[in-house]
Amino acid sequence: MNLDKLLETGDRCIHKEPPTCTAQCPVHLEIIDFLSEIEKGNFQNAYKLMEKKMPFHHIIGRICDHPCEAPCERSEAGGSIRISELEKAVLEYGVYKPKKIWPLPKNKGKVAIIGGGLSGLTTAVDLDKKGYIVTIFEKTNQLGGRLWDFVGNSLTEAILQQELKAVTDKKMIIHFEETVDKSKLTELLTEYDAVYLGTANWEAPVEVNPVTFQVSDSALFVGGQLLNKTDSVIFSASSGRRAAISIERYLSKVSLTDSRDREGVFETPLQFDISSKEPLPPIEKSAGIYSQEEAIEEAKRCVKCQCRKCIEGCVHMRQFEMSPDAYIRQINHNERIILGTHYANKMINSCAECGLCKEECFLEISMNDVIHETRESMVERGKMPVSAHDFALKDMAFSNSSHFSLVRKQPSKEESKDLFYYPLISFSDYVKGLYKGTGKTEYLFYPGCQLPASYPDDIKSIYEYLVGHVKGDVGIYLGCCGAPADWAGQQGLMMENIEAIKKVWTEMERPTFILACSSCIRIFEKYLPEIKVESLWDIYVREGLPNKDHIKIPQTLSIHDACGTRENSDLHESVRKIVAKLGYGIEELEYSKEKTKCCGYGGLVYYANREQSNAFVNERIGESEHDLLVYCAMCKDLFVSGGKRTYHLLDLIYPKDDGESATRKMPTLSERHRNRSRVKQILLKEIWCEEPIEDVMEENLTLIIPDDVKKNIEDRYILIEDIQAVLKNAEAKNERFCNPDTGEYLARLRRDNVTFWVKYEKEAESFLIKSVYSHRMEILEGMEIAEEQNETRKL
Amino acid sequence: MKHESYDQTKWLCDKCQRELELAKVKVRYMEGNFEVDLMKCPTCNQVFIDEALALGKMKEVEEGLEDK
Ligand code: SF4
Ligand code: SF4
Ligand code: SF4
Ligand SMILES: [Zn+2]
Repeated sequence: MNLDKLLETGDRCIHKEPPTCTAQCPVHLEIIDFLSEIEKGNFQNAYKLMEKKMPFHHIIGRICDHPCEAPCERSEAGGSIRISELEKAVLEYGVYKPKKIWPLPKNKGKVAIIGGGLSGLTTAVDLDKKGYIVTIFEKTNQLGGRLWDFVGNSLTEAILQQELKAVTDKKMIIHFEETVDKSKLTELLTEYDAVYLGTANWEAPVEVNPVTFQVSDSALFVGGQLLNKTDSVIFSASSGRRAAISIERYLSKVSLTDSRDREGVFETPLQFDISSKEPLPPIEKSAGIYSQEEAIEEAKRCVKCQCRKCIEGCVHMRQFEMSPDAYIRQINHNERIILGTHYANKMINSCAECGLCKEECFLEISMNDVIHETRESMVERGKMPVSAHDFALKDMAFSNSSHFSLVRKQPSKEESKDLFYYPLISFSDYVKGLYKGTGKTEYLFYPGCQLPASYPDDIKSIYEYLVGHVKGDVGIYLGCCGAPADWAGQQGLMMENIEAIKKVWTEMERPTFILACSSCIRIFEKYLPEIKVESLWDIYVREGLPNKDHIKIPQTLSIHDACGTRENSDLHESVRKIVAKLGYGIEELEYSKEKTKCCGYGGLVYYANREQSNAFVNERIGESEHDLLVYCAMCKDLFVSGGKRTYHLLDLIYPKDDGESATRKMPTLSERHRNRSRVKQILLKEIWCEEPIEDVMEENLTLIIPDDVKKNIEDRYILIEDIQAVLKNAEAKNERFCNPDTGEYLARLRRDNVTFWVKYEKEAESFLIKSVYSHRMEILEGMEIAEEQNETRKL
Repeated sequence: MKHESYDQTKWLCDKCQRELELAKVKVRYMEGNFEVDLMKCPTCNQVFIDEALALGKMKEVEEGLEDK
């Protein structure tokens, strides 16, 4: 994985960029934090933030000309936040006694400061704190310069006196009534290591470097009004502070220019869209200074400008309290670690790979791509936790095994001729389709693995519909497209799967695939662009719905688009047309079509982190008052399990008479296997009139499983076939424990990389299952401890 | 990873009809080899793991190793 490229992507994310108010504040007060503290009534913490960034905060906090306010985003929605008024309030309610700072020994070089005004004093105090020997030359008999002009209601004479006294109390040398002219300056430059010129006026023009404030490459630095050409106090203070940084760098002989592009005022790359916020007017002061309550209310108007677009849509990032930039830093760390714990694994496997983040980001940053690439890298380096995706990958292997996998051409005219004689049947579209058969497969119906698992009884009907409606022969191809391998980052396995599909496609003379599963659609787009595909739903729209009496209860539905179809707007339209045609009303969700969310199955998060999967489910089902309509089997499964009434499109197209399809529980993991097998059997028998080969899925032991155990079996990803295998082994070889008190047995069997345990009781010919669990750790029964002792560790 | 649970003393090995004994047993996961005190049949060496152990400590160790 290219980690430099990864970090670059992280740097592009503007989540961490400052709001415009902070960027436009010459000393970069952390305004969001500042206002958040006020909002919480923590005036003292707000005060600490002022103290941290603002030189002479007792003075500036009262007289700042607040360049931060005009550009405040709130100005577009009611009026700028009154930041400067809030600073005054904080100085009123949040002051605390500063900790005594022990001065550093003064041994770092001599600096002369010309002018005892705001900028000069800022430079002087900053350098004094850092251990320089500072001498101030002031032409009048007092410090402060034009600060005296500001004395009034806010900045009282007493406060100003007190602040200036704090300066004179430091161990700096101050020469009062000493005017410095050009020749004196030359003298000072030889006598001192550096000189700061902070007077408002100077007799000759000076050429100053706009970044470092240095005059050519001399030891002279300039700041204050002379540099800024304005009388802004905050710009004065800021320039004094920046000059102090330059002087320190100059005297330490390090680069004066390195990474200074964000000093002073700058344009933030943050783009904040306030249009969705309701306008709120500023809180008026009832007295000279905001009361605490008023200050809190005013601070609340701040919208905390920050880009959170993608985070707002993604319950995964919210669950892990991650922004893309921070997420990427964690991935970077996780990828670099050699010895030690990979703490980010779980998080990386909890993304649904749904792609909404990229859709939401105006910079098109795709966490989906980043995370997917990371998973591939983890697999490649052998660092992917096996347990995360093991079950899903085994499920995929099942679907591509002889239990399910099947390829057949449309039954030929010759084979079907019996059908043509029965007058009733021969009226059906299906038989007419067979009659038109040419022997050349134009279409291959590929229902995927999950749809047959959830809707085993509809696959034959759909196939017959297709034969009867599309032009040309329709074959069938049962299997798994490989989505689980893709989500798991298993590139090798994925490519194998793709090659297998390609082989069938070529052998069938490159037919168009008819897809019904949204994950298949995504996989075909990503890996098999050469294969022409059509969605079943598009075909229904084009050829008309199967002739049935559809409408049960006309009602309004909200459509949940499958996240795999995000970019497929034609498909979205087809689905809506079908729903409308069936007589239902539609109310769109806020996140729909290209902005749809994941149901909680995507990215295999359902297997890797069930809690995260549930969070996806719950958030999504909470977004609609109406029943949901989905067109992916897994969406339906998860929403119904979450307690939401949900229809699959097939529930409406092929209605069943067995009660309420919107609440029908979907098959368990074991039933999904069996259903797939059944689909193959049904098709072989009823369409191709082949005698199906004996299916090994037959269950020979009769199990009685109470509901609570059933739920555990599901949650623990255990299959009935595993239980059967354990029991068969236990019964045949007596490999089990028995409990004479209760009559229970406990048996275990290792299957592949998992050991399954079953606790049961025998009841006549059946087995009452008491509990089922598993572990991956291998118990080396009967191995002598003595050998290999040296590499054996104590747990 | 020492483990004794309240009900395992009642269990017998069904094959050998013997009571279980606490013994040092080797377990393995990924690159990790451990020695654990577990209940087993002294004759056929069949090791007894109950639900609490499998889903508790063992799972925790498995996850820890997977993230190494
Ligand atoms: S709304 Fe708040 S964060 Fe945004 S610019 Fe204004 S003060 Fe700054
Ligand atoms: S792909 Fe989906 S789940 Fe993953 S980070 Fe993006 S929005 Fe969140
Ligand atoms: S939308 Fe998300 S990824 Fe894009 S800039 Fe904003 S926070 Fe960063
Ligand atoms: Zn035994």
